[in-house]
Amino acid sequence: MATNSLISIAEGDSKVRASDSSRLQLSNLSKEFGQDPDRTVAVDNINLTIEPGEFITLLGPSGCGKTTTLRMIAGFENPTFGSILLDNQDISKLTPDRRPMGMVFQSYALFPHMSVYENVAYGLKIKKLPAKQIEQEVGFVLATMSLEFLANRAPNQLSGGQQQRVALARAMVMRPKVLLFDEPLSNLDAKLRSQMRIEIRQLQQRLGITSIFVTHDQDEAMSISDRIVVMRNARIEQVGEPAEIYRHPKTVFVADFIGRSNFLTVEKIQSKTKSGKIAIKVLGKNMEVDAHEDAVTASNPVLLIRPESIRIKRSHSKNQEASGTQGRVLNVVFYGAHVEYEIETEKGNLVAVVSDPKHDEIVPVGQMAEFSFDENRAWLLPSGD
Amino acid sequence: MNKLRITSITSVAVMLLSLTGLAISPAGAAVDRTGKTCVQEGRVVNSGGVTYTCAYTKSGLVYSQGRKLSGSLTVVCGAMENWCAAMTKAFTKKTGVETKFVRLSSGETVARLNAAKANPEFGVWHGGPADGFGVARLDGLIEKYESPTRHMIPAKYQDTDGYWTGVYVGALGFCSNKKELARLGVPVPKSWADLLNPKLKGQISSAHPSTSGTAFTTLWTQVTRLGGVEPGMAYMKKLHNNILQYTKSGTAPGQIAGRGEVAVGIIFSHDCVAYREQGLPLTVSFPSEGTGYEIGGVALVKGAKNPEAAKAYIDFTLSAEAQNLGPTVASYQVLTNPRAKLDRRMVTLKKLTIVDYDFGKASAAKKALTTRFDAEIAVAPKV
Amino acid sequence: MKLDLITRIVLVCTIAVLALLIIFPLTNILITATHENGRAVFSSIFSSPVTRQIIKNTVLLGSTVGVLGTLIGFLLAYAQTRLEFRGKKILHIISLIPLISPPFAFATAVIVLFGRSGIITRDLLGLSPVLYGYPGLVIVLTTSFFPVAYMNLLGMMRSLDPSLDEAAASLGSSKSKVFVKITFPMLIPGIASSFLLLFVESIADLANPLVIGGDFTVLSSRAYIAINGEYDVAAGAAYSVVLLVPGLLVFLLQRYWAQRKNVVSVTGKPSGRVRNIESKGAKFFLLSIPFAMSSLIIMVYVTVLIGGFVKVLGVNNEFTLDHFSYIFSGIGNDAIIKTTLLALIATPIAGILGMILAWLIVRKIRRGRELMDFLGMLGIAVPGTVLGIGYAVTFNHTTKLGEFSLIPQLAGGGAIFGGALAIIMVYTIRSSPAGQRSGIAALQQIDPAIDEASASLGASGVVTFKKVTLPLIRGALLTGLMFAFARSMTTLSPIIFITTPDTPIMTSKILSEVDAGRFGNAFAFCTILIVLVSLAMSAINLLVRGRSIESLSNPLN
Repeated sequence: MATNSLISIAEGDSKVRASDSSRLQLSNLSKEFGQDPDRTVAVDNINLTIEPGEFITLLGPSGCGKTTTLRMIAGFENPTFGSILLDNQDISKLTPDRRPMGMVFQSYALFPHMSVYENVAYGLKIKKLPAKQIEQEVGFVLATMSLEFLANRAPNQLSGGQQQRVALARAMVMRPKVLLFDEPLSNLDAKLRSQMRIEIRQLQQRLGITSIFVTHDQDEAMSISDRIVVMRNARIEQVGEPAEIYRHPKTVFVADFIGRSNFLTVEKIQSKTKSGKIAIKVLGKNMEVDAHEDAVTASNPVLLIRPESIRIKRSHSKNQEASGTQGRVLNVVFYGAHVEYEIETEKGNLVAVVSDPKHDEIVPVGQMAEFSFDENRAWLLPSGD
Repeated sequence: MNKLRITSITSVAVMLLSLTGLAISPAGAAVDRTGKTCVQEGRVVNSGGVTYTCAYTKSGLVYSQGRKLSGSLTVVCGAMENWCAAMTKAFTKKTGVETKFVRLSSGETVARLNAAKANPEFGVWHGGPADGFGVARLDGLIEKYESPTRHMIPAKYQDTDGYWTGVYVGALGFCSNKKELARLGVPVPKSWADLLNPKLKGQISSAHPSTSGTAFTTLWTQVTRLGGVEPGMAYMKKLHNNILQYTKSGTAPGQIAGRGEVAVGIIFSHDCVAYREQGLPLTVSFPSEGTGYEIGGVALVKGAKNPEAAKAYIDFTLSAEAQNLGPTVASYQVLTNPRAKLDRRMVTLKKLTIVDYDFGKASAAKKALTTRFDAEIAVAPKV
Repeated sequence: MKLDLITRIVLVCTIAVLALLIIFPLTNILITATHENGRAVFSSIFSSPVTRQIIKNTVLLGSTVGVLGTLIGFLLAYAQTRLEFRGKKILHIISLIPLISPPFAFATAVIVLFGRSGIITRDLLGLSPVLYGYPGLVIVLTTSFFPVAYMNLLGMMRSLDPSLDEAAASLGSSKSKVFVKITFPMLIPGIASSFLLLFVESIADLANPLVIGGDFTVLSSRAYIAINGEYDVAAGAAYSVVLLVPGLLVFLLQRYWAQRKNVVSVTGKPSGRVRNIESKGAKFFLLSIPFAMSSLIIMVYVTVLIGGFVKVLGVNNEFTLDHFSYIFSGIGNDAIIKTTLLALIATPIAGILGMILAWLIVRKIRRGRELMDFLGMLGIAVPGTVLGIGYAVTFNHTTKLGEFSLIPQLAGGGAIFGGALAIIMVYTIRSSPAGQRSGIAALQQIDPAIDEASASLGASGVVTFKKVTLPLIRGALLTGLMFAFARSMTTLSPIIFITTPDTPIMTSKILSEVDAGRFGNAFAFCTILIVLVSLAMSAINLLVRGRSIESLSNPLN
C-alpha cells in the first residue's frame, strides 16, 4: 500500500484502481450495549458486502444503528457477534489504528493545536514516511482539495466547509482501503452541503476508494451513493441502488423514508397476469401494476404512488362528494417550479406534485379535482410493518 | 668520635621512639581504664576509642566496663529541635559515633516504633514523656536498661523497673500576658482558684486533655489536689466557663496568650519561659494549692541496631555535662541530675507546692477521664 | 474501543503504580482499623454523640469551604474571561498565590491580622472576634484552597466556545439568561469537580485544624489525636476510614452530576470573540468579591513576609535579619535543598501520573472507570497522618513473597537512599489527584472524535496521547504540575512518619520552630518556601509553554 503513492493512483488508469480497491464484508454483525435487563441491541445481525470502489450509504432515522455499524467497521466499537472482512481477512480483532480505514467525522475532529498542513501530514508522520514524500503527498492532496493557500492556518481560522475539506484531505492522504463518513455534512448550510456532496463523490470516484457514508438525510443518500442501505431498528430494511429504492421500496417504511408517498388500499383481483403484473382494483378502477414479490401473497397490500406521478385537473362533475378519482382540494402551495396539492379523497388524503404548472390550470382550494396516475409508475407492496 | 656517633644515633632513635610512642598512645589506648578510679559521677569519657562511664560501685567511684563504639546511632527525640540537636552533636563529639535524630511527638514515636518493630530504625528514645514510655513498654517497644549512673537521679524521676530514666522535669504553671491582664484589670493568677475569676471569662487557654499530655497533667493535678475524680472534674467544669477553647497542642496556649488572644495559658512553665525569651510579653506564675509536673526521660529501643552506642548515649544523657546543654538551647526544664547547673530561668521545684503526682494511676485513669471530659465538659455550654 | 497493546501495558503499569503507592499501604492501615479499638470507633458513630458531632463538623466544614471556594474561584474565573478591567493580570497572579500556603503560616498570619488582638480587628476596628474554630477554619481553608477551583474553572471558561454565548445572545437572551441557560450548565462538570476537590482537601487538611481549629474537632484532627494523644493507631485508622465516607459520597454525587451534563465544547477550537460585560453596576458587583479576596491574600502574605523580618510579629515589630541568618547558618540549608530536590523529582511523576489516569478514565476504559478515578483520588482523600502511618507500616521493612523479596525497604532510616524514596512516593500520590481532576475536566471538554480521528490515522493510543491529547490538555497538565510541586513542598502530616535524619523536610522544620515559639524563624522559612515554589512554578510555566504552538486552555496565559 505504501508503495503506490496517492499521486500515481490519482493519475493512473481506472483498471489499476479497481484492482487496488477493497471489498468489505459484514457478516452476522451485531452489537449489544449494556447487560440484562437493560440490554439494548444497537445492531442486529447485519450482513452486507460492499464491493471494491463502491460508495454505499447507511441511511436511517437516528438510533437505527447506522453510526454504530460504522464505528464497528472503524474499530471504535467491538462487535458482540459477527465479523468484518476486508478483502477476505477478518479485521474485527484489530485496533482502530491498525485498520486501513480513513474516517471523516461529523465534528471534523481536526487537531486544534496543529495547522492545516500538520493535520494532513499527521498520519503520514506516524507512518514514518520520509519527510520528502510527506511533503509531496500532503502538497498534492491540499492542491486537489484547493486548500494550498490555507496550509498554515489553524483550524479555528477556517470556515466550516474548509474544515470539512481538511478533514477529508487528512483521511484521503492516507490512501485508506475504505473511507468512512460519519454524517460529515450535517454541520454545513444547505448550499455548501450540496456542493460538498458533489466534491466528495467526484473525489471518491476518481480515486476509487471503497466508501461508507452515514446519513439521515435521504437527499444526501440519493445524490451520492452507488447503493443505499436503509436501516431501521438495528436491522437492514433494504439494500439497493437509489432509483431502485425509490421506485421499488420493499416496505412502507422505506417508501415513506425515501421521498414522499401516497398509499392506497387496494383490492386484489388476480395475483399474476401474463405480463407478470398484479391485477388490482383501486378507486373503482381495474389496473395492472408492478409489485414487490411479498405483495403477491400479502393479504392486504397497499399501492404506492409518488406525488409526482399524480395528475390533477379541475373536475366538472356536479357531484361535490369525494368519490372514486375525484377529491376536494384542501391546500395548494405554489412553488414556482411546481405546485403541491393536498386532496381529500374517499380513501384518505393524497399529496400530489404537479411540475411546470400553467397558471389557469391550478385548481383552487375548496374545488373538486379529478386525479389520475399512470399505473406503470405505481408500485404494490405489502402493507404490514 | 665513634662513641659520639653511637650516642647521637641512640639519642635520635630514642627520640624517634618516644615520638612514635606519643603519637600512638591515644589511638592505642594501651591503658584500659575499666575499674580505675574516677572523679565525677556520671561523666562519660572517651579514651582511646573506648567509652567509659564514671559510676559508683562497691569499690567507689570507678569507670565502668569500657565500650568500644563504632557505627552510627539514630535517636528519636521528643523535645525541642535545638535541644535534640545539641544532645546528639555533643555525643558524636565525645564518642565519634555518628548520631542523628528525628524529632517526633510521643504518639508519633509509638506509632512509628510499632510500624517498624521487627527492624527498628531508632536506638534511643530521648525526651519522651512518662506515659509514652508506659505505652511503649506495654507494646514491647522499649527494653530495660539500668544505667550504672541512674542512682544519681532521684527515684521518683525514673521507672522503678528500669525501663526509662528521667532527664528533666517540667512543672505546670500559668503563662500570663501582662498586657492583657492589665487591660482586664486582673492580677497575675497565683492559684487555681484565681483562674475562676469571672473577669477571665473566655480569657484562659488550655489544651484538651485527650490530645495533650500537658492538659492531662492539669486534669490529674486537680484530681490529686482535691482528693478525687469527682471534685477534680467539678473544678474543670467551673474552669470550663473561663476557657476560650481547648487547643490540640499542649504548648499552643502559651503562644495564644503570647499573642494576646487570651490572658492566661496553662502550660509547662519552661515552655512559657522559652516563649518569653523569644520576646512574647509573658510572665510565669504557679498555683499556691500545688501543681503537677511531667518527666522527660530516655529509654533504650528494643532491638536497637547499635545497642552499645545506645546505652552509652543513655549514660551520657544522665550526666550533668549533657543536661547542662539544656539552657544553652533555650530549654529551661528542671534537670534531674542534682549536679547539673541551675539556670536562673529554671524554676526551683523546692520553692513550689508540688502535688503527689502518681504517674501509674494517672495513665490508668486517662482513658476514662478524657472520655468523661469529652462528653461532660468540653461540650457543656459556658455560663 | 479495543485497547491496543501499548495502552493495555500503560493501564497495567498505572494500576501497579497505584497499588504500590496507595492501595498496598492503605490496605495495611485498613486491616489496622479493624482491630478492637478501631471497631469501637465504628460503633461509636451510632452510639456516641461526640463522634457524631465530629462527623457533622467535618461535613459542615467541607461543604462550606467547597461552596465558598468554588464560588470565589468561579467569580475570579468569570472576571478573568468575561470582564475587561485594569489589574487583570495582577489579579490572576494574586489568585494563584495561595497555592503555596505552607502549613501554619496562613493560619498564624490570619490570627495576627484578624484575631482577638489582631492588628486590623482590634487596633484598627476595635473588634475582638474569636477566630479559633469554625469561622477561622472557613476563612483559612477557603483562602488556601479556592485557587484549585479558580484554575479548574478558568481553563474551562477559556475553552468554552463563545459562539454558543453569541448564538444565545443573538436569539434575544439577556446576559443573565445566557449565563443561567448556556454558560452555567456547560460549566457544571468543572464546578462539580471543583467542589469535590475543595471538599476533600478541606476535610483532609490537618495542619489548620490543629493550629486554628480550637474546639471545633473534625475527623482529621480526631484521627491525629487518637494517634498522638491516645497512642491508638487502630482508632486513628478507623476515624480516617470514616473520613473516607463523606469524601466518597461527594465523589459519587459529582459523578452523577457530571454524567448528566456531558458537555463537549472543544470540538475544534473556540470561534468568535467573547463579548465583555460593559455595565458598570454589574462590573462592580462581579469584581467586588475578587478584589476583596485578593486584598486578603496580599495582607496575609505580606504579614508572612514581614513576620520573617521582625522580632515577634504583632508583639515586637523591630526589624531583624536574625531569622534568616539562623536558617541559612546551617539548620535550614540542608532541609531547603533536600525538600526542593525531592519535590522536584516527584512533580513530573505526579503530573504525568495524574494525566495518564485522567486519560485512561475519560477515554480508554469503560468498565471500572469510577473505581479507577476513586483509586487515583485516594491520595488526598486519605488524611496525611493515616497515609504516613500506612507507609511506615508497609515500607519500613522488606516486603517478601515467600523467599523472594518483592519490595525493598523504602521508608525509614535503614532504607535505601535514607528513606527518600518513600517521601517521593508520598509526594507523588498526594499531588497526582490534582492533575487527575484537572485532566479529567479538560478531557471531558475535548470531543472524543479527535482521539478517534488520530486512531483512524494509524496512531496507537499512546501516540495519540502524546501527540494530540497531551498538547490539548497542556493547560491542565501545567496546573497539575504546579499543584504537584506546591503541594509536595507544603505537605506535612504524612511526612512526619517517614522522615529520617537523612531527609530533613522544611515543613517539619517549620513546625519545630512554631513549637519552640520562634515564629520569626517559621515565617522566614515560609517566605523561603514561597519564593522557591514561585520560582519553580514560573520555570514550569516557561518550560511547558515554550514547547507548543499555542494553547487552548492554559490558565496562565
